[in-house]
Amino acid sequence: MSAVIEIEGLRKTFHSVRNGRRVAVDGFDLLVEAGQIHGFLGPNGSGKTTTLRALLGLVRADGGRMSVLGEPSPELLPRVAGQVGAIVESPQFFGNFTGHRTLRLLARAGGVPIARVDEALELVGLRDRGDERVKGYSLGMKQRLAVASALLKDPRLLILDEPANGLDPAGIREMRDLMRSLAATGVTVLVSSHILGEIQLICDHVTIISRGRRVAAGRVDEVLAGYDRHEFLVRVAEPGRAVELLQAAELTAVVDGEALMVSGVSDPTVVSRVLGEQGLWVGELTPLRPDLESVFLELTGAYEHSSVPRQVDGSGLPHADQGEAVINLDRGVDA
Amino acid sequence: MNLVRAEIERLSARRFVQLMVVLLALAFAITAATTLAGSHKPNADELNSARAQASQARQSMEVSYQECLARQSGSLPPQDTGRYLPADCSEIDPIRQEKLPIAADYLPGVFTFAQQARPLLYFLIAFLVLFGFLVGASYIGADLNSGGVVNLLLWRPRRLTVLAAKLGTLLGAVLVLSLLASVAYLATFWVIGQTAGLPGRLDGDFWSSLAAVHGRGMVLVLLTSALGFAIATMGRHTSAALGAAAAYAVVWELGGRLVMEIIDARRPDQLMLSSHIGAWLTGEARFWDPQICAGNAGNDYCDSFYSLTWGPSLLVLLVLTGGLTAAAFAVFRRRDLL
Ligand SMILES: Nc1ncnc2c1ncn2[C@@H]1O[C@H](COP(=O)(O)OP(=O)(O)O)[C@@H](O)[C@H]1O
Ligand SMILES: [Mg+2]
Repeated sequence: MSAVIEIEGLRKTFHSVRNGRRVAVDGFDLLVEAGQIHGFLGPNGSGKTTTLRALLGLVRADGGRMSVLGEPSPELLPRVAGQVGAIVESPQFFGNFTGHRTLRLLARAGGVPIARVDEALELVGLRDRGDERVKGYSLGMKQRLAVASALLKDPRLLILDEPANGLDPAGIREMRDLMRSLAATGVTVLVSSHILGEIQLICDHVTIISRGRRVAAGRVDEVLAGYDRHEFLVRVAEPGRAVELLQAAELTAVVDGEALMVSGVSDPTVVSRVLGEQGLWVGELTPLRPDLESVFLELTGAYEHSSVPRQVDGSGLPHADQGEAVINLDRGVDA
Repeated sequence: MNLVRAEIERLSARRFVQLMVVLLALAFAITAATTLAGSHKPNADELNSARAQASQARQSMEVSYQECLARQSGSLPPQDTGRYLPADCSEIDPIRQEKLPIAADYLPGVFTFAQQARPLLYFLIAFLVLFGFLVGASYIGADLNSGGVVNLLLWRPRRLTVLAAKLGTLLGAVLVLSLLASVAYLATFWVIGQTAGLPGRLDGDFWSSLAAVHGRGMVLVLLTSALGFAIATMGRHTSAALGAAAAYAVVWELGGRLVMEIIDARRPDQLMLSSHIGAWLTGEARFWDPQICAGNAGNDYCDSFYSLTWGPSLLVLLVLTGGLTAAAFAVFRRRDLL
């Protein structure tokens, strides 16, 4: 499979008089291959938008190498720009124009047939509202218009920065269906989000960014598998005795309330056999699979037990590095 | 080309541009209406009397001149005739006067096109200069802030091309609008002159000198448009251009002039943009410099004025605008667009 987006060691520091230096992206890597629906996941302020802006030539990177559809970016981006539809952070439109006119101007500037405007509006569900002024649009409608502008070119690569922003649940579902149907026609999609559920539902691959660095990447199921500690929740009549039996069988087990937590289980039948042989019948044996949310929270340090509100850029927290992360499962056990 | 077409549509859809065009039309209509209301076609009596008055005035000038010459050559005693007679008679030589009294001068309440066309044109140029500056600044300023530029760059990731298309569209549109406005404006007043006033002497000289003023005015309009565009591009906001213009006027044209007067700097006027604009528009601007005649102790005639001519003044305006425009492109090429 060929790389559609490659980013290596991207760095970007913002300097401003008021806020001083702010490292937005700090040696970030990203690889998106053709045909993927690639989730770009990270909490607010982790550097997603900055990365996409640098990739699209809107901000100057301080270091690193990037390419889009095989062309180094931003130097040769113009060569492939016609095949890349992108929205970066809810784009603003000129309020006095209608949605239709907004797209028509872009189509004209980009040399796209004007007929494509209606198709794009239809795709995002704005067909009947295209003749209204943009300033009368709701946030969700503006977001749809933005997506329509990205679709106008009939792109091979679609880059969407937080497209779910401002959309209602039905809108989010439509957006998801839209991305799926586009992907089915061979469009590669890179979609950034801070909402985990979204990514897990539609993406096959994911890259997780935290404080400007990649902390995990790969197929969604593989990323999850990498954090699977093979834990099971077990309910039996005598938890205390069960723990002893399981520990004797070289499994890690602790009492957790009414039930047991057993980890390091490669084969769950072992648990029921060990307990059953001693007359302890297993009432429940539930695998505790990590979901993307727990992996994400763990990797990005976004999840804390303290009562102090978490701060946006996570300053003061140790940097969560891939590999060292300890997974807290839903049950919130301190490992 | 597509880019330019799209830009034309954006530009013409701007509320601000529409507002300015309406203002232009309004100012135009008001001037035309008041002129029309205050003017009438002179009847034969009025004309005859005006002609007589004008010729009398011309004669009296000639008499003064002859008297002056006579006194200079000593053929006339220096007695007081009640006339002003300068030391240098050429000052009042009728042939050297810029303008001799003509009948139109003695026709109150009659609009004479040949006489009024130039001041009217200056007014139009002043309006168009303001128009160009404000539209140039707001066009790019609003687009930079509304994300329009970013949207466009996602489509055409060539910053210089995009900015140049905008500037080119702006200049083209301002020029076309200015030409249309001047034609409509002059034609209206010409018609007023023909029907409710006097056309005046509309000979080749008149038209060619009017055309020259007009041409210079158009150049000035284009330069200020580019200037507004360039400053707003560098400052990222429309208000940057307005602020820069206001700050320049207050700090330099007023404050700087004051300071230079206090420290007795020589020829402060030649450091002022307004002087160069004046020189460019009128062909030459004259300013007083007491030092020119400082060493001139005697009573010899000494012209203590120096002049700025249109050539060097145009160069000053071109260098300023060109420099700022180039700087705007250089800044825009590298800057982070958010
Ligand atoms: N123009 C800017 N000036 C200064 N800091 C910025 C600027 N843009 C972004 N940042 C900072 O860079 C970091 C990453 O921002 P961003 O890429 O927008 O994050 P995300 O899109 O993941 O929410 C944040 O800490 C943000 O404050
Ligand atoms: Mg963002």
